[in-house]
Amino acid sequence: RAHSNPFSDHQLEYPSCPEDMDWSKLYPAFKDEHTGEMTKEVTIADIGCGFGGLMIDLSPAFPEQLILGMEIRVQVTNYVEDRIIALRSNHAKEQTYQNINVLRGNAMKFLPNFFHKAQLSKMFFCFPDPHFKQRKHKARIVTNTLLSEYAYVLKEGGIIYTITDVEDLHNWMVKHLDEHPLFERLSKEWEENDKCVNIMTNATEEGKKVARKQGDKFVACFKRLPNPEII
Amino acid sequence: MAIIHPIQNIVAFGDGLVIFAVIKNVILAYKRQDTGSYKLIGKWTDQYDRTESIKDKVTKEQDRQIDENAKKQKDNEGNVVIQKKKTEAKIPVPGPGAPPVYSCIRNLLISKDGHKLLSCADSDKSVLVFDIDLNNDTNCLQLVKRQPFPKRPNSITITDDGKTVIMADKFGDVYSIPTDGEPLKDINDELDPILGHVSMLTDVLFKVDSHGKKFIITTDRDEHIKVSHFPQSFIVDKWLFGHSQFLSSICSPLWKSEWLFSAGGDDFIYLWDWESGKKLSEFKYSDIIKPYLTEKHLAPSRFQNESNDIIEYAVSKIVAFSGIPYIAFFVEATNILFIVKIDVENKKISESNTLELPYNIISLNTANDNEVIVSLDNRDSNGENFVKFVKYNSQSCIFEINEQKTKELDACFDTLKNDSNITVEKENIFPLYSTTTLRKHGEHYS
Repeated sequence: RAHSNPFSDHQLEYPSCPEDMDWSKLYPAFKDEHTGEMTKEVTIADIGCGFGGLMIDLSPAFPEQLILGMEIRVQVTNYVEDRIIALRSNHAKEQTYQNINVLRGNAMKFLPNFFHKAQLSKMFFCFPDPHFKQRKHKARIVTNTLLSEYAYVLKEGGIIYTITDVEDLHNWMVKHLDEHPLFERLSKEWEENDKCVNIMTNATEEGKKVARKQGDKFVACFKRLPNPEII
Repeated sequence: MAIIHPIQNIVAFGDGLVIFAVIKNVILAYKRQDTGSYKLIGKWTDQYDRTESIKDKVTKEQDRQIDENAKKQKDNEGNVVIQKKKTEAKIPVPGPGAPPVYSCIRNLLISKDGHKLLSCADSDKSVLVFDIDLNNDTNCLQLVKRQPFPKRPNSITITDDGKTVIMADKFGDVYSIPTDGEPLKDINDELDPILGHVSMLTDVLFKVDSHGKKFIITTDRDEHIKVSHFPQSFIVDKWLFGHSQFLSSICSPLWKSEWLFSAGGDDFIYLWDWESGKKLSEFKYSDIIKPYLTEKHLAPSRFQNESNDIIEYAVSKIVAFSGIPYIAFFVEATNILFIVKIDVENKKISESNTLELPYNIISLNTANDNEVIVSLDNRDSNGENFVKFVKYNSQSCIFEINEQKTKELDACFDTLKNDSNITVEKENIFPLYSTTTLRKHGEHYS
């Protein structure tokens, strides 16, 4: 199925709070055998990770960080799971691809169940569902109300990456991020020098598809600003 | 035979001197006289006619479809003529067997200073602001603002200064509007939500913390209680995690402002310190209520098991007494009022009392320091037992029904029996039990 309604009551598994999440199942290599505790926490999230191409390319670029893909479509999630299992076993010697994994979830509803305040340093929104119809705009992954929740899980200086081949959606995302008091757009120059922008533009399946069709790709990156003084 | 419709909601203020009650789409105001009896001093009926707005909507949708079809034709024939067929929009009329449309009024809220009454009308999904003028005995209620919204308002609250209404809607968005001034014409274009959940919102509270900072607390169908700053509502302060089912109601007591009680579709009442974000205590009410559950609490057939024994129940409303450390709540479609004592020093929910009322409870609100007011589903009562004041008797240390006030109010409501806006055939009573429908049945969806 190409789409999944983020508003419906799916049968989802999510922790009742971030402390209840057992990350060791997703990243067993990062569990301290003696204490049973995780040695790292997730700092990079790919929201709507699709077939996982971005994570797979980010994995060697950030070997010391845990990267989580969230995907709402069951079959797609299963595919990415299998893909990561295969990668891990093919690279058992090098012990690579241990820092990425995927879970099925509705990030629009349950992000704060997984991540505590200021946990993330990067969030990716790559080729999100454009929801062209006006009355479906609330279903878009970037809205002014959802941005406040993304700002909650992002640390100061953390970055939101967006990329899409739909210009309308790009303008929409830029408009809402620009309007949000906790985000500031990063310059073209910054984008050119950032390795994630490069990976995001070329690595994802959607990105490759767009390139094959010689379509445009619109990129916008925003930095999480410090909270202003509370009035 | 037509009966007086049960009272859907009732609030009292000024030591029970003035009460406001909702029956169908009518708000009634009563004032207690020196003799002790109540007198009708105000009445407002929602006369909003839906046909115009439906016609508007249909016309808009028709225009959109005509535009869309015109474009398609252009594509097929490759940039030839754009043909638009325009006909008069027909207003759809519900056919036989269609569910009835109810013009409910929900939520009643009196501003701190007692000068304003706030409510919501389902008919045009609007927030209503009334001025209360108790010197005007012919009609103390003056509608000063009616602000329609794109989605149905589910809960409202008001800031301490009485200047701003905060409304949480069925779609998950929260809006803030001034209590005065002209309403906005097209809210979609003119006003953005100040915060939101991707889930139906069920309750909203405005709070000020011990440092004087302002907050909005919102609850939803996805077990979430979210605390956001205000007016900087783009800064989320925290979530209070713990519930395993939808939330339906929260309250914060006057005697301990940093505390919050929450309830909904699971078996527990939770006590939180919303400022620190800590869960302080919990109270399991499910064992006590089970004997009082009836076949009305069986899960809907499509969510039922083979032995037909899945029961579903939920707390409909929780309120705190204003002057004594007690909270009151009830489970939907039961006649049991729970009154729970709070051990303030040890931050614990301690002993609990239950009070059996003659009929199922529909609404519950704080009336004054040591009293709450409930309205009952008295459809089988022959015009009695509309409402009950439940008072703490400090001599005997028990909670009891104030029979005197109850009689006086019943007598008052009895005079409405010839008012066709107030009466109803039993089978046409408005939906009074809607909390349990909030339950998610995720296991039935992939």
